[in-house]
Amino acid sequence: MQKWDELEKSSFLDANARQRAIGMTDKGSFTELLGPRDRFTSPHLPVLGTAVEFDDGMVTGVGRIGKHPVFVISMEGKFIGGAIGEVNGGKMVGTIRLAEKAAARIQKEHPDEYAARRPLVVISFETGGVRLHEANAGLLAHAEVMDAFQDCRHKLPIICVVGSKVGCFGGMGFVAAATDVIIMNEQGRIGLTGPEVIEQEMGKEEFDASNKALVYRTTGAKQKYIMGDCNYLVEDTIGSFYQAIADVADKPMAEIEKLRRIGSVKLVEEQMGLVKLVGDMQPKDAMDLWKYYGNEKPEELPELSTAEFLKVVKCRVRN
Amino acid sequence: MDEFDNTMIGRGRDAIDMIVDPDTFQENAIGTYQCEPDYGPCASVGTAQLKGRPVTIIANDAQQFNERFPVVFGGVIGMEEAYKMAMAVYHSIEADKDKPIAEKRPILLIVDTPGNGPGKMEEIAGMNKATGSYQLALAEARKTGHPVIACVIGRAISGAFLCHGLQADHILALSKEYGTMIHVMPLTSISRITKMDIEKLEALSTSNPVFAAGAEFFYKLGGVEEIINKVEDMRDVIARHVDDVYATKAKGEFEKLGPWGRGLLGEERGGRVVRLKAMAKMDEEFEAVADQYLNA
Repeated sequence: MQKWDELEKSSFLDANARQRAIGMTDKGSFTELLGPRDRFTSPHLPVLGTAVEFDDGMVTGVGRIGKHPVFVISMEGKFIGGAIGEVNGGKMVGTIRLAEKAAARIQKEHPDEYAARRPLVVISFETGGVRLHEANAGLLAHAEVMDAFQDCRHKLPIICVVGSKVGCFGGMGFVAAATDVIIMNEQGRIGLTGPEVIEQEMGKEEFDASNKALVYRTTGAKQKYIMGDCNYLVEDTIGSFYQAIADVADKPMAEIEKLRRIGSVKLVEEQMGLVKLVGDMQPKDAMDLWKYYGNEKPEELPELSTAEFLKVVKCRVRN
Repeated sequence: MDEFDNTMIGRGRDAIDMIVDPDTFQENAIGTYQCEPDYGPCASVGTAQLKGRPVTIIANDAQQFNERFPVVFGGVIGMEEAYKMAMAVYHSIEADKDKPIAEKRPILLIVDTPGNGPGKMEEIAGMNKATGSYQLALAEARKTGHPVIACVIGRAISGAFLCHGLQADHILALSKEYGTMIHVMPLTSISRITKMDIEKLEALSTSNPVFAAGAEFFYKLGGVEEIINKVEDMRDVIARHVDDVYATKAKGEFEKLGPWGRGLLGEERGGRVVRLKAMAKMDEEFEAVADQYLNA
């Protein structure tokens, strides 16, 4: 395993789930829970003749940022596309529940220091959603995650991190949307319906899934940033993600609540305003909206480096 | 659908009439909130009486299509529909916010949906936020004390079932004789994506609950609390589950309900037995190191 300092400087996009988990928490602080040594593998894959992984394609554990315990869930896209089944779904839910219980214990044991010791959940998504080999169990796990999220509301932040090759799609796309804060690098993508399915539903002339630039404009980090669906757009190093997470860790919950997109009547009303705009405008391309929000030359935005983009971009203003 | 003469697929509005007290459904009205009548036409929301008690109704309307969003028809949940459904839930919570749990109105989800809006505009604006917001609203209502009951009358497919159904306290489904469909993806698509042999998948699909399509398999996983064998019984079975959920919440046993409760059922019924063991082991491993994280 690389040294922590080297990890911080290395590419998030190229990192595996375990490197990301270690690098998103303080040096030497990460303890893996239910790691490969425990050999909790999927009971359903062997029936279909599919190989198992000893961590079921997900690294879960706890680290620290300062005094904050950081409960980490990190998905490995190289194992069945990071898809969610019974065991890794259970690991995900179990980690969130551990964080919520930890928050209650800290409230009780360190009532005066809760802000400084408040736990957080960090989820590094790399998944297409439900694992089709055990589809029904995977589906049910998604509902459990949303349920566990709701239990954490107003108590501790849940941070979504997307910057790995597979992106974050299918059911995990709305799980990501339901978190408090979203951090992405330029390569990150979040969506519900994958490009191939949109092409199948709408026809190739409406949406060509092989057009990478179009796919990226529709679901990529720059689009999400302009729409207000990505709170931090960072450089592609593990250290940049760590810095953004550390920034959130110290924010008051009331500030974090303002970074959310959904989860209250007020936020739903705001999103309904956006849906109305899109329904009236009937955009053919995300660039139509970029222009609407004041970007005179939207076609230039995808070419810019992250730093240049952040300097010039105009985003949807939230009420 | 010929083989299912009595299917309820596409009949969300009929189902409302079969379930609630006669002529009590007031569409678009929830408490003091009035939903715009032409908004999100593929979802029908409103207030009705069930055995004399006010209930919020949220149903798919498969007969409509959404003029503004061309992929939204036939029961698809589009962005307008999902936000309309979320608003129906939030305004149910608001209407009863000062009432004790025993008087918080039940929310009844009538489920017949093939999917979430799979379009380009949906991805640009964020269909994921729309379906996510409805789920968070349902989870909040459930935890606030409203009994949330889902009844699958037709199709309950993948992400759309997660959105409209899987956050309920209890889930009921008409039996397969009614053509009820609960699954993530058709076998042909699973075969294409996983590159597994279709014949092998077909053989497994008759017996393997984590994989096979159908209400009876979801039952084994704890994903469905009860299967309704006769459509005439829908009304009574739903009313009984409303009473059950009220009673469970009155005892404060929220963990027996909703997604977590279905996880417990999944173990009891033998369909999902590893996840709880995995979580217990995680808890144990955390306890061994907890001090260095909680008291650092």
